[in-house]
Amino acid sequence: MIQLNNIEKYYANKGIKNYVLRLVTTNIKQGEFVSIMGPSGAGKSTLLNIIGMLEEPTYGSYEFLGEDVTSLNERKRIELYRNHIGFVFQAYHLIDEMTVYENIEAPLLYKKVGSSERASRIADLLDRFNIVAKKDLFPNQLSGGQQQLVGIARALAAQPSIILADEPTGNLQSAQAEEIMTLFKKLNQEDGITIIQVTHSEKNAQYGNRILHIADGIVKEDVAILS
Amino acid sequence: MFRLNLKIALRNLWRNKVITSINIGGLAIALAAFILVTMYFTYETGFDKENPNYNEIYIVGRQLPDFKTNYTPPPLGKAIKAEMPEVVAVGTMKMSFFEFPVSSDHGVVFLSKCLYLDYAAAKMFNIKPTVGLTKPESTTENLFYLSNENYKTLFPHNKNGQPEMIWLGSKSANMTGKLSGSIFADPHSNITFDAISLMKEVGIGENYGYNNYSTYIQVKPGTDIQELEAKINTLYKKEMLKNGEDPNNETFKATKAFLDPLKNQHLKPKAGTDANYKVLIALSVLGILILVIACINFTNLSIAQATKRAKEVGVKKVMGAYRFQLAFQFLTEILIQCLAATILGLIMAEIILPKFNNLFVVNLSIWVANSALFWQLPLILIFITLIAGIYPAMVLSGFKPALVLKGNFQTSKQSYWLRNSLLVVQFSVAVVFIIGLLIINSQLKYMRTQDIGFKPEQVVYIKNLAYFVSPSKFDPIRDKMVKIPGVKSVTVTNALPDGSDSGKNKYTVDGKEQSLSFTDVDFDYFETLDIKIKEGRTFSREFKTDTANSAILNEAAVAKYGLTSPIGKTIKGCQNKEYKIVGVIKDFKALGFEKAVQPTIYAINDPCGNPKTEIMLKIEESKMSEVLSTLKSQWPEINKLDGDNFRYQFLDEMYGKLFKKQEQLQSVFFAAAILTIFIAILGLFAFAKYITTGRMKEIAVRKILGASHLQIFKLINSSFFVMVLIANIISWPLAYILTKKWLETFAYRIDLPLFPFLISAVLTILLTIVTVSIQANSAVKANPVDALKYE
Repeated sequence: MIQLNNIEKYYANKGIKNYVLRLVTTNIKQGEFVSIMGPSGAGKSTLLNIIGMLEEPTYGSYEFLGEDVTSLNERKRIELYRNHIGFVFQAYHLIDEMTVYENIEAPLLYKKVGSSERASRIADLLDRFNIVAKKDLFPNQLSGGQQQLVGIARALAAQPSIILADEPTGNLQSAQAEEIMTLFKKLNQEDGITIIQVTHSEKNAQYGNRILHIADGIVKEDVAILS
Repeated sequence: MFRLNLKIALRNLWRNKVITSINIGGLAIALAAFILVTMYFTYETGFDKENPNYNEIYIVGRQLPDFKTNYTPPPLGKAIKAEMPEVVAVGTMKMSFFEFPVSSDHGVVFLSKCLYLDYAAAKMFNIKPTVGLTKPESTTENLFYLSNENYKTLFPHNKNGQPEMIWLGSKSANMTGKLSGSIFADPHSNITFDAISLMKEVGIGENYGYNNYSTYIQVKPGTDIQELEAKINTLYKKEMLKNGEDPNNETFKATKAFLDPLKNQHLKPKAGTDANYKVLIALSVLGILILVIACINFTNLSIAQATKRAKEVGVKKVMGAYRFQLAFQFLTEILIQCLAATILGLIMAEIILPKFNNLFVVNLSIWVANSALFWQLPLILIFITLIAGIYPAMVLSGFKPALVLKGNFQTSKQSYWLRNSLLVVQFSVAVVFIIGLLIINSQLKYMRTQDIGFKPEQVVYIKNLAYFVSPSKFDPIRDKMVKIPGVKSVTVTNALPDGSDSGKNKYTVDGKEQSLSFTDVDFDYFETLDIKIKEGRTFSREFKTDTANSAILNEAAVAKYGLTSPIGKTIKGCQNKEYKIVGVIKDFKALGFEKAVQPTIYAINDPCGNPKTEIMLKIEESKMSEVLSTLKSQWPEINKLDGDNFRYQFLDEMYGKLFKKQEQLQSVFFAAAILTIFIAILGLFAFAKYITTGRMKEIAVRKILGASHLQIFKLINSSFFVMVLIANIISWPLAYILTKKWLETFAYRIDLPLFPFLISAVLTILLTIVTVSIQANSAVKANPVDALKYE
């Protein structure tokens, strides 16, 4: 599904190149649950951003679903966002002026999903995540864990094939974090959604089936987890 | 999608109530000003525009060696009509400014603008009596119509403006005439009147010497006007020569006929002043400037708010929103605000309108069916939405998700110089207006408090139609008036000291000829006006010669001749009449403050003077109302020559009108100063907000490092302080030149004071510090932890 070849990312400052990523080559298959781990500043988020096409690599090539997406125009990239990729953020990033319902609805509007289809999908998600009662509340009226649930529901609304999560539990207490990770595992195993997450926590990484260890921009280890 | 965006927009605006109201309010105020200016512009440029032949009508004027005039002799029009095939119609008219009463059983009206015009002119200008335009059958027939207002006063029960009989002149003279009906006098036309006298032909028997008619021509569409002008000029010269004009006369050689289009008549006629045009252009520029600046402020404030929206943009982008969709969303939000501002602006304009109408002596109204505003407003709305919205929409929709979603996003500190210079420009404009206002105030205060050399208070001027050339004719009338308790003195003259120019003639003293203004007076003139005598005496009944050949000069006249002991000297006037100078009075400002006191000679007997008709009474203040009512009831008896209508004005009010133009200017400057300060403060507010949000982290770090609140206030204020100081320094020379030029239009004026410059600096700096500090307060008070949380 994802094929990275010799991905490099550096920032040139007064002629000195500051490398964030060096020669990252890896392949992520459909249905995998990959955790990217490593110390601060190792380049985890940058790698995730490149996979999510939010940043472009300085060098190297990137194929998404067999298509070269190393540098893609806006229109094509947004097509991919609408149909294939869901994002989950550490700080949830729900839109404060929208209710829970509207937050989940937003991506469907961009995807131009019909209104009855929209309603049934949102009802389904609300039901599945047990947040039906909260659908008319605004994000600031929810706890962190609930906000992240909405964030995940929003990411799933467009029925993506892959979810990219940047420290999805970083702002959460452990009980809530556990809940979210269980949900991810379930999504991966039951719905076959590919998940790539950045995490600091060894415990969270154990929910997946593969760990990429990164340090100083280099993939040090690529371990499979046997469950 | 649109509904959701709309919902977000409204929620967002509601959440930031303060910013939203500042944004909308600021724009609304600027819009109100702009709407008023637009209405005024439409009105001023729309005179006679309703006329279907608007673009084909020209007035024929004459260019003389030292001036241009629209007055032409009546045969010229006839000659043009006869010889120029491209001229479709020629209309001739004459205005009579002589005031005379017309009365019915129901009341009396005084006509001061009676228009004599021929049938062709009435047709050309679409002047239609209520009963319909009829052509007078013979050249002697004369159809007389009153304007609707006057007609209603005389015949309040007549609905259809039908013909009636009226008294012309004083009722006691019992001269009746036929009134043909009523007529609509369009105030929005160059042709104004309160009555018209319609004739088949005007100016019969008057030849090329009678230059007191206006000749309008209507040409065929597409006529070459320059060529026609040359042809008319040739014709005019030819006709003049035929009439016995000396071909070698220098004035004749230099005289030329010209054409001036009707559409220029109101604002920039060739013969006349284009002051109105300049005022209009200045107002329009000011209106546009204020609106554009308000829009730019709006933009800045929107961008200052950007951080709050950055996350939304980032999230939406990763959810699959195109940039143009986001840009459209923000434009919609701005459109909503602009719409609200437009509605609010309209309401404000409506509230200010009566004051505006009063100030500019117009009668504008927003809610009229055919108002140009109906198509202008949507255009204005689109215009301001685009100016105010394009840039924020581009900036906001351009945020990179990878940057904004990390959590510690701050707007970058780009293009400071642009905002800095904008702020400086705004404050410079405000400073110019503040200084201007203060200097106008000082000059007006000077004019109000300065001794004008005479006392117009409690002097009543009586409008009178009878001539009083010799004192013996006026004496019986004076005697009757003086007998009324409370009347101190009575006099009659040919020129009131109300700013009107008096005539000029050549006078000779000791063989030296000079041009002097002359005022023909009667006994008690100087006493009535309380004018101080410097040498000699005033006119007195004790000296028999005073009614024959005594004269009084003012100081300016004495100075003009350079006389050291003027009393007893002989001064020779027109027709070689010799006067003996019996007194010298102190100069008094009969012409107000703009014109210098004219060297003037006062005499009772002046063979070349104008008839004395202006009666003045000095009345005791406490008995004013009784005296006026007594005069009113006894007037027909007191002044049989004038008739039954007692009409008066207070001299001090008439003199006060000389200040009106300056007071109007003062009001305009007051409004402009308030407006520009307000807008500059809004701009500053937006900018300060932008800067403080941009420097949140810096402020937090400084606080952790031990900076006190005061130090941080100083830090944030210092750059603004410098900018406002620069604005002041830029404006000072400009304001100095402008106000100096303005003051130079006064013969009596203050020295250019220093304090307005200092006050404007102190005021703007103070306002700046307050505004910036309010803004900085939240940043200073904030807990540093919040600003430094995400790293």
